[in-house]
Amino acid sequence: MLSFLLIMTITSCENFIGGNINEDPNHPIKVPINVHLPAITISIVDSYGGLFSRFCNMLVQQVEGVARGCYAFNTYLGMEPKSFDPAWNNHYEKILNEIRLARETAQNDGLNHYAAILDITEAFALMIATDVWDEIPYSQAFDALTFPNPKFDSQEEIYAIIYERTESGILGLQNAPGDAIPSSDDLIYRGDSSLWIKAAHAIRSRAYLHHNNYTQALMEAEASFESNLENFAFQYPDESNASPWYRFNRDRTGDIEFHPTMRSIMVSLQDTSRLKEYDQLFNTNNSYLVADFKQELISYREMQFVIAECAFKLGEINKAHEAYLSGIKASFERIDANGYDQYITLASVDPGEENLTLDHILTQKYLALFLQPEVYNDYRRTHIPNLIPVTGSIIPVRWDYAQKEYDFNSNLVEGSVDIYTDKVAWNR
Amino acid sequence: MKKVTLLFAMFFVCVGMTFAQKTVTGTVADNEGIPIIGANVLVKGTVTGTITDIDGNFSLEVPSDAQMLVVSYTGFGTQEVDISGVSNVNVVLADGVVLSEAVVTALGIKRDEKALGYAVQEVNAEDITRSGATNPVDALVGKSSGIQVTRSSGSVGGGSRILIRGVTSMVGDNQPLIVIDGVRTNNDTNLSQGSTSGTSASNRLMDLNPEDIESVNILKGAAATALYGTAGATGVVLITTKKGATGGDSFDINFSSSVGFDQITQMIDLQDTYAQGSGGAYRGPYTGASGSWGPLVSELEYSTDPNHPDAPVATGSRIAFNPDGSYAWDKNGFLVPKGTGNGQAANVYNNVDDFFQTGVSLNNSLAISGGGETATFRLSLSDLRASGVVPNESYDRKTVKLASTLTPTDKFSMGGSVNYTRADNVRVQQGSNTSGLLLGMLRTPVSFDNANGFSAADAVDEVSSYQFANFNQRNYRGGGGYDNPYWVINNALGYDNVDRVFGNVKADYRFSDWIGFGINLGYDMASDRRKQDFEIGSRTNASGAILIDEFATKILDNNFNITGNGYLNDDINLSYLLGANTFSYKYNQSNVDGFGLTFPGFLDISNATSLTSFSNAFNYNTLGFFGQVEAGWRSMAYLTLSARQDYDSRLGDPTNFDLSKTGFFYPSASLALVFSEMMNNTGPLSFGKLRMSWAQVGSGPPNPYSTASVFVSPSIGDGWGDNIGFPISGVSGFDQSSLLGNNELTPELSTTIELGADLRFLRDRLGLDVTVYKTNTKDAILNASLAPSTGYNNVWLNSGEMTSRGIELTLNANPVQTSKFNWNTQVNFTKSESIVDKLAPGIERLFLAGFSTAGTYLVEGNQYGAIFGGAYLRQEAGTDTDTSLNIPGGPVVINDDPDSAEYGFEATDPTQRAIGNPNPDFIIGWNNTFSFGNFSANFLLDWREGGDLWNGTAWALSFFGRSQLTADTRVETPTPIEGVLSDGSPNNIPVVRDQSYWQSSLGGFGFVGEQFVQDGGWVRLREVGLSYRIPSVEWMKGGSIGVSGRNLWLKTDYDGIDPETSLTGTGNGQGFDYFNMPATKSVIVKLSLNF
Repeated sequence: MLSFLLIMTITSCENFIGGNINEDPNHPIKVPINVHLPAITISIVDSYGGLFSRFCNMLVQQVEGVARGCYAFNTYLGMEPKSFDPAWNNHYEKILNEIRLARETAQNDGLNHYAAILDITEAFALMIATDVWDEIPYSQAFDALTFPNPKFDSQEEIYAIIYERTESGILGLQNAPGDAIPSSDDLIYRGDSSLWIKAAHAIRSRAYLHHNNYTQALMEAEASFESNLENFAFQYPDESNASPWYRFNRDRTGDIEFHPTMRSIMVSLQDTSRLKEYDQLFNTNNSYLVADFKQELISYREMQFVIAECAFKLGEINKAHEAYLSGIKASFERIDANGYDQYITLASVDPGEENLTLDHILTQKYLALFLQPEVYNDYRRTHIPNLIPVTGSIIPVRWDYAQKEYDFNSNLVEGSVDIYTDKVAWNR
Repeated sequence: MKKVTLLFAMFFVCVGMTFAQKTVTGTVADNEGIPIIGANVLVKGTVTGTITDIDGNFSLEVPSDAQMLVVSYTGFGTQEVDISGVSNVNVVLADGVVLSEAVVTALGIKRDEKALGYAVQEVNAEDITRSGATNPVDALVGKSSGIQVTRSSGSVGGGSRILIRGVTSMVGDNQPLIVIDGVRTNNDTNLSQGSTSGTSASNRLMDLNPEDIESVNILKGAAATALYGTAGATGVVLITTKKGATGGDSFDINFSSSVGFDQITQMIDLQDTYAQGSGGAYRGPYTGASGSWGPLVSELEYSTDPNHPDAPVATGSRIAFNPDGSYAWDKNGFLVPKGTGNGQAANVYNNVDDFFQTGVSLNNSLAISGGGETATFRLSLSDLRASGVVPNESYDRKTVKLASTLTPTDKFSMGGSVNYTRADNVRVQQGSNTSGLLLGMLRTPVSFDNANGFSAADAVDEVSSYQFANFNQRNYRGGGGYDNPYWVINNALGYDNVDRVFGNVKADYRFSDWIGFGINLGYDMASDRRKQDFEIGSRTNASGAILIDEFATKILDNNFNITGNGYLNDDINLSYLLGANTFSYKYNQSNVDGFGLTFPGFLDISNATSLTSFSNAFNYNTLGFFGQVEAGWRSMAYLTLSARQDYDSRLGDPTNFDLSKTGFFYPSASLALVFSEMMNNTGPLSFGKLRMSWAQVGSGPPNPYSTASVFVSPSIGDGWGDNIGFPISGVSGFDQSSLLGNNELTPELSTTIELGADLRFLRDRLGLDVTVYKTNTKDAILNASLAPSTGYNNVWLNSGEMTSRGIELTLNANPVQTSKFNWNTQVNFTKSESIVDKLAPGIERLFLAGFSTAGTYLVEGNQYGAIFGGAYLRQEAGTDTDTSLNIPGGPVVINDDPDSAEYGFEATDPTQRAIGNPNPDFIIGWNNTFSFGNFSANFLLDWREGGDLWNGTAWALSFFGRSQLTADTRVETPTPIEGVLSDGSPNNIPVVRDQSYWQSSLGGFGFVGEQFVQDGGWVRLREVGLSYRIPSVEWMKGGSIGVSGRNLWLKTDYDGIDPETSLTGTGNGQGFDYFNMPATKSVIVKLSLNF
């Protein structure tokens, strides 16, 4: 009798203190993957087309910060740790950690295609991060109670994960999808696994290119996109959910404008029709940077230029020349510019197969990838086109870490990074 | 007014009556025949009574049917004397009877005061009602040591904050637990629109009619509150409500009626000499100019000539002239330099003092009570109608309370009470928002008339004073800027309607002295429905808005206990208690905000074109098991041991629940030594006791839902433009919140040591009670920042440490006691401080409330809630002596860069510093009551020494050139500011602190907050009163009539409104004044009659 009462008491205690009393009724502690994936996608696209694009493309002088904080950044003086807080914070809090959580759900529920898409997305996110920050926390990240001060992993370790994730992603997409198939919640490819495989190859191609592995980069690029339609990109819908550049131009009008350096390169190449699209005031009337901008993460034209560069390096001049021209053409098509046929009649643009140089390829890639952060990687690899530092004698070779990381991660020592000399591993 | 007349009429009727009564005389002496001076003699069941004179004699007029007198004196047993048919009695009070002043302690247990090893202080009903306060919290000011009460706003219905022994918790609610008749009661303050703006808000204890309070006991330390566990860690206010009287058949009716008049106490010193403008040039309302940096008003006159060279020109959307050609902004015409206009000198308009009215409150209450041998009841009704000092503000409260008890046998008793309260408030926007009443009012230049030529009283209802025919606002910035105060009180009102039911049901059964069972079930339900209107054209919501909030709170508190006591032998007395408690708290806020009203004049949510909504719950349960044993030895030494095991749902992990992780245990011990009992000859000492105690209290997290991470619909962006949110392209999105759930949380633990002494002299006519204590809190659960690479930004972490210490002193004296005149005086002294020893790793300060220029923070090494903000540069900044948190040593450094716009001004320190401490150095309440015959008088002086306030009002008004300070400094002779140049030599750069100074980093909206931190201390006449006791007559058992005042005199160095104010309400962030609603002083006339 007594033991019965005791059991009754303990059970009712459990129900009174436990149960779902301490579960927030207004916020779920689990969500289905088809609402989690869109948040991850938008976070990464918005960051890449936002801070990454503004900062990287200011450094390569496609755009110029002319007022307030952007002016300071433009002179490199504003490249202080706190400038990188939003990008770093988004990357860890809203992208990498969310990918980890969502992939756990996908793997536990046997949702192979979701897991694969998350693998590929993570590879992309890790690469854009390590390309500007070199060593970054990963192996001890996302476990605050055990590792409140995550250690920084080398770029080699990060790239190993990038290859691993793209590989497992491609394999996963070749498997059965499992009980749930990504569709409209996959804001990039609407669940099309063949396009995701191509995107994975594009990511791998970039990765090999960064390491001057032209053979592999070429192979992967050829396995990637076959037209602009297959671009790894998100189409922003409208004014109420506008693209990052449009929002920036609307809310910070006059802070950033088109850069004279890029203008002079294009003028010297008589690149009038593309210049007309690019060289506009950065405000809401800009007909290129529109609310429903299609923000690319990796494009077909970029892959064409990778093919061109790699084939050139490998001595396959014919292939290089062909890809070079199709890269330029895709760039014209991307912005609906006329005059491609006219443009390539210029010897300065198309010197013919035998006279094609790396300079041609990377200059045209620079022009074709307007506002694509990848241009900053190309510049650091090749120093093409030739740019004159805005101040001092060196264009910064990396980003600083975020102030919040300095403040709260004891593994990061304040002042340990020199943005002018501490090159990222693949750039050493 | 009708009501007041009636009230006076009743008074005169009463006084004018002649009554049938008899006189009883007698003497009171102790058992050695020595007369007792000042013994209380009272007709049983009434308030009719007297005290004995120096020879122990008394003479009392009693109703002819009176049967019993009750004779009492501290230190002696109370005696009842039959007077039916006699007119002279000699009373011998039994001496040697142990002092048996029973006090109510935790869980409502009455204990012999001498047995307590910790401090408890009682405030009786008379002290509460005499205060004239309608909020029971306000009534406690100065009545006990160890407490601090701060009224948040002068708005009628604004709440007050109470602290017992300062702060205890680092981020949790620091206000004490409120227990009414043994059950926990809601004293929440719910905020709708952010802590620095919106309207004032009530604290829920305001729902209790002060007339229903029998007594209030303040349980101060951890040992006193040990049986309440976690909830009692911040101290306990134990309220016992009135019940019907037992014994004999009694039936009483008490009616009381009062009328009160409120006015604002003081206002910031404003200049009334300079007109609107900038750089000495006049700029009229049509320019939108914000400041009063124009010429002297005395150098301006009116003109109505449209061809005048200074005739206004409309700028932007701001008009200059009405369609009929008259000047739009002043009926006298526009302002031009003296000698060029029509000769009519420019007016100096008083937009401030005239605006406030005398608030009137009418309070009527009726209580009917009675009882027989076995049952009692008491029904009370009250009705309070108060209008504010701000036109259109009001606070109405109606209460009904029924309490009854039944004691059918000696062994069994039961009882219950139910209280229903309805409170209706109309409130005005205050604080930091463009609809804030004082914000627009105080910024208005004296050359502009907010009332548009009408008297203030007329302007309230005159639409043309604040609005043009096209619905554009008429204000000093040409329709932009801030709402005209008259517009606000008509078009931006907040309404809240509260329904509250609370009470308890209890039963006790006593088998024997050694075993008794008790159960007490408490319930408390409150619903607070709010609607805040913003008519179209509001400067806060230009297209109009309707904000609807509904707060529903439900508390269930159930106690079960087994008690017993008795003597083990002749020397040892033992009592014990075993108990269990379940507590459940449920809170839900439902919000619907509607924006973009379709057309004006229809302030309803259905008129809104876009809606947003959310729901916000906050639920938790706790379960406690506790025990206490008290052993007493020969009335000399008492040892009390207690222990409690708590379970708190807030420690539970909903994804992987483990009951043991929610449980925690903590003990306490206290010892009382009545050393006067051990002495043969105590001389003048009549009683002496030493107290000591040691107690621990554990607490769960301040908030529920801290143990699991949750998902939210994210807002995405990088802070350089507006963010975007889901749904996007037709799909929804959720990701995990940046706040990491922590399922490894353990309870906070605080340990308190308390020592005290209770010394009484000269037959207790003089008493001194001293307490010192120290509390160490460790593992405090704080919001810690995380490195972003952990994937989260914040986590609740056991990380904080805090040390609190204090001294409390209560001096009671009865300096004069004769048959004609009696004077009781009590001094309550409180000094407490809480030092933040440690915050979360990597964090030196933690935000509580306020602004970016100056906010209250927990700052390491500083007192709780330090004001942190911009400071002047000091010479020792950056040297080894610089803590990087506090203001460094050395003189102020002067900016000596000749190219700087601030050349010659104080240089600014790029690092923000702890610039103020809002905690008072000490608080003294000096309470006096005098009685002479049927008259009695009282006064309470309230002295709060120190306690900084950040005068944000003065800060902002310096920018606008509206404060008197800016009028004085703009014409001062050029003088170097005190300080040193960068080379350390004395400053020799003369400057004038004119517009360029007050609009620089050193002035309003500048970086430096330091110069607007002011001493918020005061000495005030908190209460003063005079009352007359109406003797009983045949048809009436007496009564009283009195007049009392609250806050009638105030002395403070603070240049602003009454420093008893708090922008952020009753929360932890105190010490901010930013266009707060000024506090009030009151005169109350009250009549109370018993039948």
